[in-house]
Amino acid sequence: MGRWRTAATLLLAATVMLACSGQRPVAGPPQSGAPATGPVQGGRLVYALSADANGFNPITDQFAAQSYSMAGTIIEALVSVDAEGDWKPYLAESLTPNDKYDEWTIKVRSGISFSDGMSLTGDIVKANLEAQKKSPLTAAVFVPIKSFELADPMTVKVVLNQPWVAFPYYLSTQTGMIVPPASLNDPKAASLKPVGTGPFIFKEYVPDNRMVVTRNPRYWRQGLPYLDEVEFRILPDSQTRAQTLEAGGVDAIGTSRDEDLTKFGALKDAYTIHRAQGMAVAEYMFLLNTEVAPLDDVRVRKAMAHATDRKAVISTLRGGLTEQADGPWSKDSKWYTPGGYPDYDLAKASALVKEVEAEKGPIRFELISTPDPNTMQGVELAQDMWRKAGIEVSIKQADQADLINRAITGNFAATVWTQFSAQDPDGEYIWMHQGYAKPVGDISLNMTRLKDDELSKAFDVGRMNPDEAARKAAYKTVQERLRELVPYVFIDHLNTGAIVAKTKVRGIGEHVLPDGGKGLPLTGSPIPYHPFGQLWVSER
Amino acid sequence: MIVLHRLIRLLVVLVVVTFLSFVLLNLLPGDPVTQILGLSATEEARAQLRQELGLDQPLLVRYLDWLGGLATGDFGTSYITRMPVGSELAERLPVTLELLVAAQVIALGLAIPVGVAAARRAGRALDQALTALSFALLSTPVFVLGVLLILVFAVTWQVVPATGWTPISLDLGWNLTSVILPAVTLGAGQLAVYARLLRTDLIATLQEDYITLARARGLSPRRILWRHALRPSAITLITAVGLNLGALIGGTVIIETLFGLPGVGRLIVDSIFSRDYLTVQGGVVLISVGYVVVNFTVDLVYAAVDPRIRRA
Repeated sequence: MGRWRTAATLLLAATVMLACSGQRPVAGPPQSGAPATGPVQGGRLVYALSADANGFNPITDQFAAQSYSMAGTIIEALVSVDAEGDWKPYLAESLTPNDKYDEWTIKVRSGISFSDGMSLTGDIVKANLEAQKKSPLTAAVFVPIKSFELADPMTVKVVLNQPWVAFPYYLSTQTGMIVPPASLNDPKAASLKPVGTGPFIFKEYVPDNRMVVTRNPRYWRQGLPYLDEVEFRILPDSQTRAQTLEAGGVDAIGTSRDEDLTKFGALKDAYTIHRAQGMAVAEYMFLLNTEVAPLDDVRVRKAMAHATDRKAVISTLRGGLTEQADGPWSKDSKWYTPGGYPDYDLAKASALVKEVEAEKGPIRFELISTPDPNTMQGVELAQDMWRKAGIEVSIKQADQADLINRAITGNFAATVWTQFSAQDPDGEYIWMHQGYAKPVGDISLNMTRLKDDELSKAFDVGRMNPDEAARKAAYKTVQERLRELVPYVFIDHLNTGAIVAKTKVRGIGEHVLPDGGKGLPLTGSPIPYHPFGQLWVSER
Repeated sequence: MIVLHRLIRLLVVLVVVTFLSFVLLNLLPGDPVTQILGLSATEEARAQLRQELGLDQPLLVRYLDWLGGLATGDFGTSYITRMPVGSELAERLPVTLELLVAAQVIALGLAIPVGVAAARRAGRALDQALTALSFALLSTPVFVLGVLLILVFAVTWQVVPATGWTPISLDLGWNLTSVILPAVTLGAGQLAVYARLLRTDLIATLQEDYITLARARGLSPRRILWRHALRPSAITLITAVGLNLGALIGGTVIIETLFGLPGVGRLIVDSIFSRDYLTVQGGVVLISVGYVVVNFTVDLVYAAVDPRIRRA
């Protein structure tokens, strides 16, 4: 009996020890006694992300939303986007086009230095842009750029081979993020230990676990950042990520689950929810290969759109939280044009199917989906809707790598897809212009392989004409052609991507740009990101 | 001699397993180039990278190249992170090892008293209750159990962190609190298996003549159970511990993802999804070696536990 008692005592002691240990504090108290209403200096924030970054070098590593969250605390871009969706200079003091818009002059802001002590100059900006142009990651995007010239020590001239009105927008993404010469010379090191001009400095990175950044005392924007330290935790499972927030293990999480929005949304005293809106929101859709039968027939594609009850998909899969999509841009965007999308009409769908079947026989094809339960649920729902119209669809599961590979090489008929979150419609140029549509078997950035003169010319006008009215008219044509030719069956704008934070975390999506204007609150998908320099932790 | 035999067997196992995994992985559609360069890279850039990574070489050439490197201790370089695979595995191995050891300690530490108690009161209420509990644990998937344990111990009682990992080198106390939930989740299924095996073997042993003789000589039931019945009854349990290592390694993949632990299991799964062939190969080597070594150790433990095996 004595041994049993010893074992039981040890077990009890261990349990008590654990119980007494409690939770590790994640956000320290504010260091200064600033008023409760305004930002408070100091504190630590623990922020959970759904995935790790591939690396932090904007020139060699492909950036996803989580990469922007982490690397964006350290490395800044030449350009930012404001709350209206317009580009604004950031590390650049100004960006000025010539009359034809085929030359842009970037004047670099003075008085900025990297955390390694080196001053930001035009020379460094030029070297970064040249490295980006050479990088295989961005070669296709920078095709219109002919050369970079150093006009004076703080000015870089970008010479283009065609007018490019929306060029500055591209400098607000990883292609415009500026790293010091040391990072350019040692890309491998820059991939693991990023250095930049940002509000925070790299402290620690453990792959698949965490990244810690600390306050940059020499940050060029006075009084910023407010936080002393930010720890990013990589928690891939969405359910345990939400549970960790509830348990107090983290202060904020990124999520794309509608149940998190519903659950935490009901607890307004304890949590705040921040969702991406407008152009920043990606669209969920079925991508159709217009080069292969039976989807090379526009009537089949239209029948699919008519047979798709988007409202039912949204209420079934997203708890009714998203908006129906009828194109790549949402209703709250200035580029949006209403009307013309083949709405849900089973009779019309069936009639079109019968018409095609009379000529070509039964309509059958394969739909590719990733195997995750939520996506599969949506795919099966669509399969059922299309079956009702007489379209037989078999589902093939493929993991993300396989699905992407099939999409770009054209080895598919239809696939689930999420895309289109560029701030300016020109951001979708390479994905929809016929110049980027290649035959099946070749790598094609225009994955629907739709070749339409009218649509492509409209994209060209949007790219080259500086007049906003002309650009709006051009993108109206783009939307009309997409609705007419249906290379995509649109479902919804995925605005369930959100940041859920404890109420003590302030400033998410409320940052101010150097010119005093309000910055774009949140962007990116499936989980949005935002700057961290103006985040602070209040006492409650 | 036994060690030499085992080493030769290990080499054969390694070659077969790594070749099969290399071929199977390369048969998967999709390639690492798209993962590295993204969608917007040009065909020329893709071709160039493919050449740089040696992916344009025939499969067998690539495998032999990799095997040659392995013979000199070089696991190759990850396509995605561009870090040596050996150092990536070395970084993550302590996490997985600690998780595996903790899970086994918890499973064995609880299974032995539970199995003994059940065998001692075979057929009675306690035995039936423990049997029911064992089946409940066995039939609960680890991801359900993990979420439930987080809900109770981290969210409701807040006695342990829900997720995350603190290395031993940083803080032993926090390390133990961060490993306890994952280890319990991983070990729960094994606990049930071990307890059931031990119970069954103990009941059979307790029917043996030498136990009847011991009883007749007046030895106390506790002494008979712990000194004379437990050791010969533990052979199946020890075998199961060795064989279950494979199941546990498979379980770590789910556990590491669920609890956000930066271990080998998660690295291998992520690498499969990103088609990082060499990292997967490194992981396969590690697991194969681990599996063979553990089972070799189990053979040695047999002899220590049961003198009859040693003599044979």
